[in-house]
Amino acid sequence: MIEIEQHRLDNGLRVVLAPDATTAVTAVNLWYGVGSRNEPDGRTGFAHLFEHMMFQGSAHVAKNGHFQHIERVGGSANATTWFDRTNYFETLPSHYLDLALWLEADRMGWMLPAMTAEKLENQRQVVMNERRERYDNQPYGDWDERIQSLLFPPAHPYHHTVIGSMDDISAATLEDVRDFFRTYYLPNNAVLSICGGIDPAHALGRVDRYFGAIPPGPEPPPLPGDGHVPFSTGETLRADVVAAVPLPRIYMAARVPPFTSDEFYPGHVVSCCLGSGRSSRLYERVVRGGLGRSATCHLLPLTTGATIFLVIATGLPDTDPDALEEAASGVLDGAPTLAREEFERAVAGLETREVRDLQQVATRADLLSMYTTHFGTAARLNEDLRRLREVELEEAREWAREYLHGENRVVVRYLPEGRA
Amino acid sequence: MNGRDRGRPPAPDSIRPFEFPPVETGALDNDMEVRVVRGSPFPIVTGMIVLRSGETAVPEGKGGLAVLTGNALEGGTKRLSSRELARELEDIGAGFGVAAGWDSTTVAVSCMADRLQDALPLLSEMVRRPAFPAADFERYRAQLVAAAAHRRMDPASLASDAFARFIFGDGGDYGRPLGGTEVSLGSRTPADAHGFAAARYGPSEAALIVAGDVEPAEAMSLAERDFGGWDRVIEPGPEPGAPARCPQRAVHLVHRPGSVQSEIRIGHPGVARSVEDYFSLMVLNLVLGGSFSSRLNLNLRERNGFTYGVRSRFSARRGAGPFVVSTSVDNAVTGAAVREILREIEGVVEDGPTREEVDAATSYMAGVFPLRVETTGQIASRVAELVIFDLPGDYYRSYRDRVRAVDLDQAAASARRHIRPEELCTVVVGDADEVQQQLEALGAGPVSVHRDDDEAVP
Repeated sequence: MIEIEQHRLDNGLRVVLAPDATTAVTAVNLWYGVGSRNEPDGRTGFAHLFEHMMFQGSAHVAKNGHFQHIERVGGSANATTWFDRTNYFETLPSHYLDLALWLEADRMGWMLPAMTAEKLENQRQVVMNERRERYDNQPYGDWDERIQSLLFPPAHPYHHTVIGSMDDISAATLEDVRDFFRTYYLPNNAVLSICGGIDPAHALGRVDRYFGAIPPGPEPPPLPGDGHVPFSTGETLRADVVAAVPLPRIYMAARVPPFTSDEFYPGHVVSCCLGSGRSSRLYERVVRGGLGRSATCHLLPLTTGATIFLVIATGLPDTDPDALEEAASGVLDGAPTLAREEFERAVAGLETREVRDLQQVATRADLLSMYTTHFGTAARLNEDLRRLREVELEEAREWAREYLHGENRVVVRYLPEGRA
Repeated sequence: MNGRDRGRPPAPDSIRPFEFPPVETGALDNDMEVRVVRGSPFPIVTGMIVLRSGETAVPEGKGGLAVLTGNALEGGTKRLSSRELARELEDIGAGFGVAAGWDSTTVAVSCMADRLQDALPLLSEMVRRPAFPAADFERYRAQLVAAAAHRRMDPASLASDAFARFIFGDGGDYGRPLGGTEVSLGSRTPADAHGFAAARYGPSEAALIVAGDVEPAEAMSLAERDFGGWDRVIEPGPEPGAPARCPQRAVHLVHRPGSVQSEIRIGHPGVARSVEDYFSLMVLNLVLGGSFSSRLNLNLRERNGFTYGVRSRFSARRGAGPFVVSTSVDNAVTGAAVREILREIEGVVEDGPTREEVDAATSYMAGVFPLRVETTGQIASRVAELVIFDLPGDYYRSYRDRVRAVDLDQAAASARRHIRPEELCTVVVGDADEVQQQLEALGAGPVSVHRDDDEAVP
């Protein structure tokens, strides 16, 4: 059990405090309720570009000052943008808590005075190079664009990726940066979690000191498009991509109940049974079966209408892609027959993994922000293991029957070019 | 608070003490070392067998054999098949894995603390009684061959492999890809794995590390129970050869048609882990390219927008590993990026770092240390380094003091001693039709163009 306190400042900022007397390290983690799902047509990639701008200085912090201040005291800092949220985090020696709060508060409250067209242009180039490095110059780099555009209809906020298109990144203006900041970067659209070597009363006082004066804003606008989708694609949708890739690889996805649904836990266990570890069904069929180099399953914690259940199977140089696909789809089709032994093994593995992950204050803080953002309460983290253990075998089988069939499937196959 | 208060960074609170947790050290009668770190508030434990042999112990022509043998330890034991072994470990919720590097092979398991007694015998069995069944061995071999094929088509891996080959040469310890090539893996058989394990896995060249929620006395008795009977006698591994040198500056362009970025590697053979001025060199590296606020990153990313990121690194191994600056940049700025990297390297050697930079770097390096020893896995890996590199038992207790003791003169001296601008080798993986002229115009050394990547990585 993790000791958790929850508070709300007058400006709406939700604050979660999780003291840990055994450590001299503290994690500060801030979730803003904005991600790629908030981007309208023509503005894809903007939430992520904006995240970069948050490191370009604020009224009292110079460009790159954020990293310099944090690194100078022996801390680490970063941020990530994802579908439903953008997170900013620092992990640092506990006695520098104020420094992290000061830096985060300065950009939440006073970012705009420091924005210039030159900084935007610089970070636009950085982000374009990020896209080139991770997508365009990388074997299989564009898989998520292909999966998402097939799995979600054009109106759904998950139809496009976090990185966005080069055209949209090129089109972003300084005025867009200002609008986005005023719309989403508000204390009442954020959760601040602090975990580690802190005294909660003292920490809360400091949070109020740095963040208390930041004015709230209006509730952010509703999501663009339509987040409602059935947990079915109607038929198996597919795309073959002949590309400069070394090995055949298959991405297979399904649209399943979101993170915020009660059905997420049985899904989590199914995902683990099928594709986690060396006794999972995918490993057995694809890897031990000599068809591939690796095969894994992933269930993403997304919240907007549905989330993504994903299989990634990579072949060997001479693997027949049809055989690889057949093996992967066979595992999904056969999922309703899960045996008790497999089920219990998966739960045991998930339990160990969760405890292992919680060892790091940064992970704990991020989970606290996540649960607060999506469920309204950080205490949900302490229920996680119980909810996992309460899943029944029959529920897991039912989940598999309901969502992993061929009428709810998207298949993207990468085929090495130059092969018949 | 008012605006004036907000204008400067706040002062720190009183410091919370940090000490690396105590390491209990012992040895079994067969000379196997045992190190136990009691240090987790969570009911979890990591057990790790460190074998002091990796790829540098592999015979000529069999590159990748240490990695392959390590991977194939999961292929089953004389008692358990690969499938049975995986199930026994995963039934108790354990995560496990084998990792072979240049200097070592580690077999590790993380599990709930009360399961250590069940997990450890399985680890012992994997290392002491591997079976390498033909079909399983062949599967691991095919996977490594596939990995090698992947590395050739992944521009970042191709650049790193080509760089290693150009600076260390074909015959050197580190000149080939760690996991072998299609050729060197091609004719490996289970007999090779049996031979390697018999020659290189033995108690006198091994250690058991246990970190987490466990009583040292209990861990010691489990060690005795599971490893006390290991009686294989082996010879110590080979000592690393003399450090390699590059004769002069050179530029190698590996043609990758259609590349939209150039992967750049610049450097030369670096230092061994035993180098005397290790701490000041690490501090110097932080200033050059080892942190976000480094000279290279502020120049290439934050000033010029050439790249998503750039970093420099001294890979200190038992022998002298590479010193390398790595980045990937837009095609059109490839020449400019190489020029800026060379300029920053030359600058830090000629003029040294500033006092402010050295203060910031020592403070960073000392401060982040506790952030990186939070988990039982991280702690076990740190203790493994003591074993692999023959570091003293109190090394981590004095680590932060030794970092803080690095001064400006020492950091500047380390730059002059270990960075040789006249020997810098530049490797670019990119579209030659777009970047060759830019590189030739630089005058950074003769440009060799490799249009067939077999010339770069055989």
